[in-house]
Amino acid sequence: MRILVVEDDTNLNRQIKEALTEAGYAVDVAFDGEEGHFLGDSEPYDAIVLDIGLPQMDGLSVLEEWRRAGKTTPVLLLTARDRWSDKVQGIDAGADDYVAKPFHMEEVLARIRALVRRAAGHASNEIVCGPVRLDARAGKVTVDGQTVKLTSHELRLLSYLMHHKGKVISRTELTEHLYDQDFDRDSNTIEVFVGRLRKKLPEDCIQTVRGLGYQMVDI
Amino acid sequence: MQKGSIAVRLFWLSAGWLVVALIATGFLLTELYSRALDTSLTETLEFHVESLAGALLEAGDPYAEGVGLPDPRFDRPRSGWYWMIRGEDGELYNLSTSVVGIDLPEISEPADAFGMRSSILEDAFGTQLRAVEREVTVGGESYRITVTGSLSEILRLADQFRGQAFIVLGAVGAMLAIMSAIVARFAMRPIGRLREAIEQVREGDSVSVEGKFPREIAPLAEEVNELLRSNTQIIERARNQVGNLAHGLKTPIAVLRNEAQARNGPLSRIVLGETDKMSSMVSTYLERARLAARTSIVGKKSDAGAIMLRLTRVMRKIHPEVTIAFEKPDASLPWFRGDEADLEEMAGNLLDNACKWSEGRVEVHLSAERADGGTMLSIRIEDDGPGLTENEAEKVLRRGVRLDEKTPGSGLGLDIVKELVDVYGGNLNLKRSALGGLLAELRLPTARLGGTART
Repeated sequence: MRILVVEDDTNLNRQIKEALTEAGYAVDVAFDGEEGHFLGDSEPYDAIVLDIGLPQMDGLSVLEEWRRAGKTTPVLLLTARDRWSDKVQGIDAGADDYVAKPFHMEEVLARIRALVRRAAGHASNEIVCGPVRLDARAGKVTVDGQTVKLTSHELRLLSYLMHHKGKVISRTELTEHLYDQDFDRDSNTIEVFVGRLRKKLPEDCIQTVRGLGYQMVDI
Repeated sequence: MQKGSIAVRLFWLSAGWLVVALIATGFLLTELYSRALDTSLTETLEFHVESLAGALLEAGDPYAEGVGLPDPRFDRPRSGWYWMIRGEDGELYNLSTSVVGIDLPEISEPADAFGMRSSILEDAFGTQLRAVEREVTVGGESYRITVTGSLSEILRLADQFRGQAFIVLGAVGAMLAIMSAIVARFAMRPIGRLREAIEQVREGDSVSVEGKFPREIAPLAEEVNELLRSNTQIIERARNQVGNLAHGLKTPIAVLRNEAQARNGPLSRIVLGETDKMSSMVSTYLERARLAARTSIVGKKSDAGAIMLRLTRVMRKIHPEVTIAFEKPDASLPWFRGDEADLEEMAGNLLDNACKWSEGRVEVHLSAERADGGTMLSIRIEDDGPGLTENEAEKVLRRGVRLDEKTPGSGLGLDIVKELVDVYGGNLNLKRSALGGLLAELRLPTARLGGTART
């Protein structure tokens, strides 16, 4: 999952980025409204953390621009203004959720998790695909009740596939959603990680659709 | 504060001058009238003097038969109409039959161009007399001819005239007084209208003083509007500054807290503890500042139905797993007398709490309730969550108590609701809902005119 963080306070920006990275997300950052707007407009993010008070272009305008352009990426608003009238304004501008500063980092993580899962159409934090169970909150994977140890890269890959289970996911899409913009996209890492994942999961769990990509299916 | 009435003052001022002017007019008219009578009397007397003088000159003897005046008033004793012919030394030669038992003093006034002397005398019976006298020389003998007429008669006539004049003038005065009372009242009418317009602003039916006013009080209405505008501006600015301060303080607090959370050790524990305190203090006092800036707001009213519709739409997005039942009320529902953002704050917090605790079902009802203090707006928000016991509800309604730290939210939400409810003079009840969970009942004052009044 790839997340964009738009926040002008460099410290807070770094903290959110670190927390999200640690939780297994690929994270891009922007420090002002224009940069944020450009990134959100051009890159396929799974969720966006957006501060309202931004230099160059305020957060609500950025959000309205995205929505006008037809972007449906879930957006979590971040702001010190915690009155309901502000929240209503934010949600009406197209935000999906709202966190008031100062916040607990876990709250931001929980909200992002919920937004990503809701966008993919899952009602709970546990996603099941045959014998494979993913606990998105704890970042744990079990097969027939047995915990499977995964590296963070493997977990990211599996998590994306499970969130979109049943759908065919191209390699490009995977690269776009699993790595931040500074990642070298020419490498064959995706194939390598899919190979490693297959070894740890039941057979045929991840299928290759020739010429199109990968697909996770119930077996 | 109150000091008399302008209308009454106007009335007395005009009526006072009116009374003085009318009385003066009365006296002046009487004076002119009596003077005119006096002048005509003097002329008559002068004519009589001339007749007597002519008769005397013709007869050459004061005792002669022809010397006398035909006017019968000179034959009636004590009539005040007398004539007499005296010698140079005061010796009496002839007199009218009306002169009985009186002796007229001589007139000492200087003679006019025609040799006439005129004076006011009094006879022995107290009758005021106008006397005219002239000297005539006949055959080397000098005579003084004196004729008098009753002045009391004239004074009586003047008195009569004065009485009638005052009756007429009194009637005129009464009519003018009634008119000036009507005028005073009419002149005050725009002030009454201005008062009503200002009252409408206070009631929240209007945002500014509207209507056309006469030149004298139009500036007053303008000033009131200016005052309202600057008041709103001050409040707006205070709110903005409070918001800016909030933004300025909350981000550094968030940074400190996150930084401390990422590390372990005594320093991070202290930073966490203190930033927690800072953050709750910032929130509490910012909210207080907002409340203080809010209390002086006049003339605001908001459509509760539209606000609840917006809030439920927002809540459905934030809490997609919860079904929120809300039927938009009809247009006859009275409006909330207060700020839209404040109503949103109260209802938003209650609704958000209900969604957080519910098992998937929340209901919102809006209605108008008749109470002794007038119509109140009732907002009922209920959920199917665990609810609160009576004891817990009582505790929660006390300040700053949080029942569960695990459910996200600072616990400040309900405090804000309580403070706002107090500011607006409403009330908040927490009960057991028929759905099984909590029923939060918010009662708020309504604007005098409902939504139907202005479409």
